[in-house]
Amino acid sequence: MENAVKLYAWHFMAWPYLPPDFDDRYDSGWVTVPNSLFDRQKARGLYQQYIDQLVAADELGFDGMVLNEHHQNIYGLMPSPNLIAAALTQKTKRGKIVILGNLLPLQINPLRVAEEYAMLDNMSDGRLIAGFAPGAGPETFNYDVSSPIAREQFWEAVDLIQRAWTEPGPFAHEGRHYPLRYVNPWPQPTQKPHPEIWIPSSRSTETLIKIAQRGYSYFLSSRSHGSETAKAQVQFAKILADHGQRFNPFRMGILLSTYVAETDEQAKAEAKEGVWYFLKNCLKGHVRREGRQLTFGAGIPYFSVDDFRSYLKFTDPTKPLLGDAEDFDDLVRSGSIIVGSPETVYQRFMDILVHAKAGHLLIQFHMGNMKDALARKSMRLFATEVAPRLRADSAKLFGREFPEMERQLAPEMAK
Amino acid sequence: MSRRSVDVRGRKVELLEQGSGEPLLYLHGHADVHGVAADFQPFHRRLAAAATVIAPAHPGCAGSAELGEGITFDDVLFHYLELLDALKLDRFDLAGHCVGGWLAAELAVRHPERVRSLTLIGACGLFVPGHPIGDIFMHSQPERGTDFRTLRELLFARFDVPAALRLYPDGRGDTEEEVRRYQMLRLGAFIGFKPPYYYNRALAGRLHRARMSALVLWGEHDRMVPRAHGDAYAAGLPKAHLEIVKEAGHAVAIEQPDAAADAAIAFLRRR
Repeated sequence: MENAVKLYAWHFMAWPYLPPDFDDRYDSGWVTVPNSLFDRQKARGLYQQYIDQLVAADELGFDGMVLNEHHQNIYGLMPSPNLIAAALTQKTKRGKIVILGNLLPLQINPLRVAEEYAMLDNMSDGRLIAGFAPGAGPETFNYDVSSPIAREQFWEAVDLIQRAWTEPGPFAHEGRHYPLRYVNPWPQPTQKPHPEIWIPSSRSTETLIKIAQRGYSYFLSSRSHGSETAKAQVQFAKILADHGQRFNPFRMGILLSTYVAETDEQAKAEAKEGVWYFLKNCLKGHVRREGRQLTFGAGIPYFSVDDFRSYLKFTDPTKPLLGDAEDFDDLVRSGSIIVGSPETVYQRFMDILVHAKAGHLLIQFHMGNMKDALARKSMRLFATEVAPRLRADSAKLFGREFPEMERQLAPEMAK
Repeated sequence: MSRRSVDVRGRKVELLEQGSGEPLLYLHGHADVHGVAADFQPFHRRLAAAATVIAPAHPGCAGSAELGEGITFDDVLFHYLELLDALKLDRFDLAGHCVGGWLAAELAVRHPERVRSLTLIGACGLFVPGHPIGDIFMHSQPERGTDFRTLRELLFARFDVPAALRLYPDGRGDTEEEVRRYQMLRLGAFIGFKPPYYYNRALAGRLHRARMSALVLWGEHDRMVPRAHGDAYAAGLPKAHLEIVKEAGHAVAIEQPDAAADAAIAFLRRR
């Protein structure tokens, strides 16, 4: 089933041991959450448990494992996803290792990322998917990064890395931010011409154009999938068409969170603790109105002034966000975390696929303080009872909608 | 008061002008004309009794064009030299508030012969160990989606006075005011993050060059640029006089327009 949707297990590696009254006592799970709450004894074995869950995903036949980078928060304990990726290269055999992505403006020199990603591609025998992200939402505060400068640095860094992987070195890079006299990284990646490149973005037209121009894939960074997701797909497809390319589902990925159990009722009962820990604590400071949001807004001024005007026009600061959900019905309405029996989860995933037409589903199984056994059971049920149907039916759907679709993910890969 | 645009080597600069007599270049801050308000506030209008107040909007602020990709603090300083050329201002009084005060101090140490007098109002720009400048970027992120109380606390002695609530209301304010606020934050993010936050470590060692008369005007309760910075400017500038305005915070000219204007006018008449 070459045209079947690709299913990945995404682990954020949340800190699961917050006190029960965390929400009452602390403003945010991001940036200012005091690290005295990090319990060194309880932390022992935690990374191992999380890595083992990803190894289990590989054994269950997922198409890949997804990691990303966060700093100074309880949402994700991966300031360096590359370290976890290195462990996965040694403990997994088949799935892709997706890093989505390294935050390039945090690097003194982006060649470091070209080098580390090339190492990971070699260590995994060509299984790396290379994600690059600009960061500088919370990084405005936790790394003192200037968000508008970071946007400029980001694309220079992306282009430098791709060039470092494809153009024989040594060569000189005459960049504004990263001028270098000798670009000549050893090693080079295993995959030719280079690992697939994914760029996360909300719906910034400017970013989508840059993704299209370079033949990269677009990961829609949103946790909710209502009509906006379909709009993002249409927008990206149009931008691709403007650049002489045709949209196919494998140019786009989305994030979904799910918990699968034997029945809907059992799923809700088992998922409840982890889901609400995730919504109320991990999303506090991110997509929740309570506390202070530190991931986007006027204090993180990377939008152009025109984009800021549309942001003012199209957003309502009094509207609840995902983390403000109060019950499972709210979650259903926001098209976000999907909790239920294999049948329910299959139906909801297919509904989203029909609208989103995204070929890469990046799926968060572990949420908040979810117990290891539950996260594993949910993944297993998904892999055995949901994934086969999704693959079969998505292949039919994509085959019908994109009859000319080539196997290749991006034009540059077809060369 | 007149509002006009000046062409500076192809870039549009919006400026407000009022008064008569010697020219005074006024460089604005956040809670200030162009930084949030469209027009001169009572303080600026009173200042116009003692000078011709010329207040350009910084690049990218209000109606002024952005400087373009990769702009640095140095580019903004050169922009002001070019604006002075365009205005044919050779010698002038110079005043600035907040980021505008920082720019004023940097101009004064580079071109002391052109600056007749220097007025710094709650000016950032100095690195004072142990007295960090407040994080206006974090406080520009509301609490509970709409609550800007801590931003008003950062900028005003009291967060609940009418001026604070008018310029920084909770929820979505007037679109144009929101945009002006945003533009000033965007400029600040371009020029104020390297080194980390709204200062230049080298500036303190250069203040000795600014030998003109200087007034250092500070709000008693400035939480954005702590009083220690006012002390440091007053100590570093050879002919400076520090004046503290009571019951005022960082936005001293907005909060106590008469006291601030009295001090500034008396200084300008003495110089």
